[in-house]
Amino acid sequence: MPEKIELPQGTLDLLILRTLLPGAQHGWAISERVQQVSSEVLSIQQGSLYPALHRLERRGWIKAKWGTSDNNRRAKYYELTRTGEKQLERETEAWRKLTVAVAQVLEGA
Amino acid sequence: MLDDLRYRTRALFRRKAVETELDEELRFHFDRQVEKYMRSGMTEEEAKRRARLAFGGHEQAKEDCREARGTAFIELTLQDTKYAFRQLRASPTFALVMILTLALSIGANSAIFSVINGVLLSRLPYPQPDHLVRIFLSSHEYPKFPLNPFDFLDFRARNHSFESIAAFTRGDVQLSGDGEPVRLNGFGITSGYFRVLGLQPELGREFDFQSEIPGNGLQVILSDRVWRTRFGAAPNIVGRKITMNMQPFTVIGVMPAGTQHPGNEYHAVAYGESVDVWWPFSFAGNSNQRGSHFIEGIGRLKDSVSVERARAEMNGIMAQLAREHPNNDAGWTVLVVPLYTELLGASRQMLLVLLGSVGIVLLIACANAANLLMVRASARRREIAVRLAMGAPRSRMVRQLLTESLLISLTGGALGLALAFGGVQALVSLLPADFPRAHDIHVSAPVLGFTLLISLITGILFGLAPALQASRTDPKEGLQKGGRTSTAGRNQSRLRNALVIAEVSLASVLLIGAGLMLRTFLNLIHLDPGFREDHVLTASLSLPHIQYKTNEQTAQFYDRLASSLIALPGVESAGAGSDLPWTGYDENAGGFIIEGKKPPPHQEFHARYHMATPGYFSAMGIPLLEGRFFTEADKKDAPMALIINHAMAERYWPHEDVIGKRISFDDAPKKDSDWMTVVGVVGDVKDQPNSPGAEPAFWWSEFQAAESDMSIAIRTQSDPRQVADGLMDAVHRLDPALAVADVKLMDSVVDSSVSTPRFTFVLVGLFAALAILLAAIGAYGVIAYTVSQRTPEFGLRVALGAQRTDLLRMVLAHSAKLAVPGTIIGVLLALSLGRVVRTLIYGVSPADPVIFSAVVLLVLTVALIASYVPARRASHSDPMTTLRAE
Repeated sequence: MPEKIELPQGTLDLLILRTLLPGAQHGWAISERVQQVSSEVLSIQQGSLYPALHRLERRGWIKAKWGTSDNNRRAKYYELTRTGEKQLERETEAWRKLTVAVAQVLEGA
Repeated sequence: MLDDLRYRTRALFRRKAVETELDEELRFHFDRQVEKYMRSGMTEEEAKRRARLAFGGHEQAKEDCREARGTAFIELTLQDTKYAFRQLRASPTFALVMILTLALSIGANSAIFSVINGVLLSRLPYPQPDHLVRIFLSSHEYPKFPLNPFDFLDFRARNHSFESIAAFTRGDVQLSGDGEPVRLNGFGITSGYFRVLGLQPELGREFDFQSEIPGNGLQVILSDRVWRTRFGAAPNIVGRKITMNMQPFTVIGVMPAGTQHPGNEYHAVAYGESVDVWWPFSFAGNSNQRGSHFIEGIGRLKDSVSVERARAEMNGIMAQLAREHPNNDAGWTVLVVPLYTELLGASRQMLLVLLGSVGIVLLIACANAANLLMVRASARRREIAVRLAMGAPRSRMVRQLLTESLLISLTGGALGLALAFGGVQALVSLLPADFPRAHDIHVSAPVLGFTLLISLITGILFGLAPALQASRTDPKEGLQKGGRTSTAGRNQSRLRNALVIAEVSLASVLLIGAGLMLRTFLNLIHLDPGFREDHVLTASLSLPHIQYKTNEQTAQFYDRLASSLIALPGVESAGAGSDLPWTGYDENAGGFIIEGKKPPPHQEFHARYHMATPGYFSAMGIPLLEGRFFTEADKKDAPMALIINHAMAERYWPHEDVIGKRISFDDAPKKDSDWMTVVGVVGDVKDQPNSPGAEPAFWWSEFQAAESDMSIAIRTQSDPRQVADGLMDAVHRLDPALAVADVKLMDSVVDSSVSTPRFTFVLVGLFAALAILLAAIGAYGVIAYTVSQRTPEFGLRVALGAQRTDLLRMVLAHSAKLAVPGTIIGVLLALSLGRVVRTLIYGVSPADPVIFSAVVLLVLTVALIASYVPARRASHSDPMTTLRAE
C-alpha cells in the first residue's frame, strides 16, 4: 500500500466538489472515489468528510437529497449546485496557479 | 446567504429530524465500510472493528457536523440550559435560596432605578429643556430670593442672553358660577411665560404685553382639566366670561393636557399638572419702590449662551440697577440656575444614595451567590472530574457552569421584575406628596432593559469565579477523593473568606447609613416645632376683592368668623393667619427701617411678614415670650401693633427690651401712624423642620393689615375633625358663596413635612436589613461548609481528648476572623462616605459614635448567631463515626 499523505488545509472541499462533478454521490462513494483516483495516496478521514459535506451544503455549493443506493438502501446523495460548479472552477484555477508557483519556487531555488 | 439561513433554520427547528438523518447517514457509511472489509476476506467481527477504527470517534464526528451546520452555539446553549435545569431541580433548596435572594436584590434595584429613570433621567417635558433656567436674587442674608417686579421689567428690557424671560407668582382664585364655589390653584404670569417654556395653548393664545397693564387683568387661561371638568370641554370657551373671585374674567386660552408647572422649591404647587388657571400678572405701583420681592423668574437661554454668560450679564444689569436705585437694589447678585438643578437638585442626592444602597445589596447578593456556588462546585467535584476525564474541554465546563449561574440570575431577574412592579407602586405611595416628577415614575422600557442588564452582569459576576475554579479541578484527584473528605483548596477557602468579609463590610456600611437615617428621622419628629400640632384643624379662605372692597370689610369678616368659631362646642381657641407653619413660605420679605438704627451698607432690614388675628397664636400653640398677643383693639384707627418672633428680637435688638420698639415700611416716616410698635414676642417656628434655624419674622394685626387670603386654625379639646362641619356652616353663614379649601389636620401637615426623611430611612433601613440577612447567610454558608469538611478532624481531636468547648471556640474564632475585619473595613468605608450623606441627615454627625458602636455590636452578634449552629454541630462531633469512616 503506498504511503498516505495528509491533505493540505482547504483541499478537502476542492476534492469533494471535483468528485461530485460527474454526478450525485453519497458520502462513502466520495471517499472511495478519492482514494481510488489518487491511487490510494489520498484518503479522507470519515471524521472530517461529513462535517465538510454539511459545511458545503450550508454554503449552498452542494445540495443533499435522499435516494436509493445500489444495494437498495436509503442513502443521502450530494450533488453540485450551480454556485458549487462555479466555486469548483474558481478553486481549481487557484489550485493550479498555486501548484505551478510552488513548483517554480522549488525548482528555481 | 438565503440558502445559509434556510439551512440553519431547518437545522435549528427540525433538530430531531436533522439528527436522525445524520445518524442514518453515518450508519450507512459504516455499513458500507464493513461490507468492503468483509469482501476483502475479513470476518464480520474483524471488519466491524476495523471500520470503527477507521471511522474515528462517532460522537466527535457528529459534534463536528453540528458545528459545521452553524447551529452549534444555540444547540449547546439549549443543551446546557436543559442540563442546568436538571441540576437546579436536583437541589431545590439551593436553587430557591439563590433565586429568592437575587430576586429581592434585583427587584429592589429595578424599583429604585424606576424612580431614578422617571425623576432624574427622563427629559423635562419642555422643548430643549437644557436652555431653561430659573432666575433668583441673592444677598448676604438671603442666599436665594424672589425678584422685584420692576427689577424684572428692567432685566427683560436690557438682557441679550435670553430668547425670552418671564415671571410668575402663586395666586389661587375662587371659581363660582355653576355649582359649589371652588378654590383653584392659580398662577399669575407675565406675557411670554408659555413661550419661555416652549408650550402652545391648545385653544386661543397666551397673554400679551397689554395684559400686564394694570386694569387689563380680567383674563384667564384654563388648564385642560378645568376646561373639561368645569366647562364640559366647550369648544367655544375662548372669549367666554367666567366668574372668578366674583369678577368676570374672559377666557383667552386653554392649555393642552400634560402642561406641567416648572416646579417650585417653596410655596408648594409642586411640580406637575396641578395648576388649574393662569391669570396675567400686572405691574402696578411705583416703579421706584423696589423693596418687595415676590415674583419668580424663568428664562430660555439663546442657543449660543451659557449659563455662566447669562449670569455675568444679569449681574452687570443688577449693578446698573444698584446705581439707579441704591436704596433697594444694592447688595444683590443674580443667580441663574438651570431648571433641572432647581427642580431636582435636592432630591438627586437622596436618590443617588438610595441607588448606591441597593447597588450594595446587589453586590452582597452576588458575593453570596458566588459563595454558595463554590460550595456546590466542591460538592460536584466528582461529576466535573468525570466529565473532564471523558474528554470534555475545560472551556465546556466553564460554559456549562456559567449557563447555570445565568439561568439562576435571569430567573431571579424575572421574579425581581415582578417584585419591582409592586415595589414601584409602594415607593410612589411612600414618596413625599411634593416630590418632583413623582407621576413620571413607572416600570418602563428602560427599566426592563436595566433589569435584564443587571441580571446578566450579576450572573456572570457571581458565576465566573466558581466556574473557573471548578474547571481547574484535577480529574485524577477529583475522582480519587470523590469530593467527600477532600478539603477545599487553600485558594478557594481564601476566596470564600474574602467574599464573606466583603459582605460583612458592605452590610455594615448600609447599617450605619440606616442608623444615621433613623437618627435623622427621630431627631425631626422629636424636634420641638415651636408650635403644638395636636388637636388643630386648619383650612384656607380667600376673600374676593370685588366683594370685600375695603379693609374694614375684610377685617370684619375674619373677626366675625373667629367669634363664631370660638363659640362652637369643644373649641378652645380659633384664629386666622396668613400662613401655617411648615407649609412653605415664599420668602417674600418686606424691607423696613428700624427706629434709631442704620442697616449695614448695602443691606436692608428684612423679616418674614405675616398677618394674624388675636386667636391665631393660641390656636397654633405658639407661645408668648414677652408682651401680649393681638386684641380686638388692634384695629384700623389704633396704633399699628406688631408681634415679632424671638429670632427677630435677637437679630435686631440683641440684649435690649424690645417691647415698644418701632419699625416702619415707609422710607421716610414722618408721623406716628407711619410707625408700627412691637407689642409682643412669640417663640420661633422654623420654615421647615430641618431648616438650620428660625428666620426673623413678624406679624401684623389682621384687623389692621386686612389680608384677604388667610388660613384658619381651630384648636379643639377632642377630635378636631368634628368641628369641620361647624367651620363650613360658620363660613357659609357669613358668605354662602365662599369656598373653604384645604381642610386638613395640622398633624398631617407635620407628618408630611418629615415624609422625605421617613422615605429615606424606610428604604435604607430595608436595604440594610436585606444586606445583613444576606451577609449572615453568607457567613453561615462558609462556616457550615468548613465545619462539615473538618468533621473528621474534630472527631479526631475529641478522640485525642479535646473538650467540646474547645471545638466550639475554634469555630467561633473562625467566625470572628470573618466578622471583625469585615466590620473594621465597613466602619472605615462608612467614615469615608460620610460626606455623601451630609445633606440628608439632621442633628447627627456622619461619624456618630453611638450608631457606629451599635452597628459593630449588631454585626458581631449576627455573625455569632450565624456561626452558632455549625459550631454546636462541630462540638458534637462523634469520634467513633470519624474513625469508622476513615
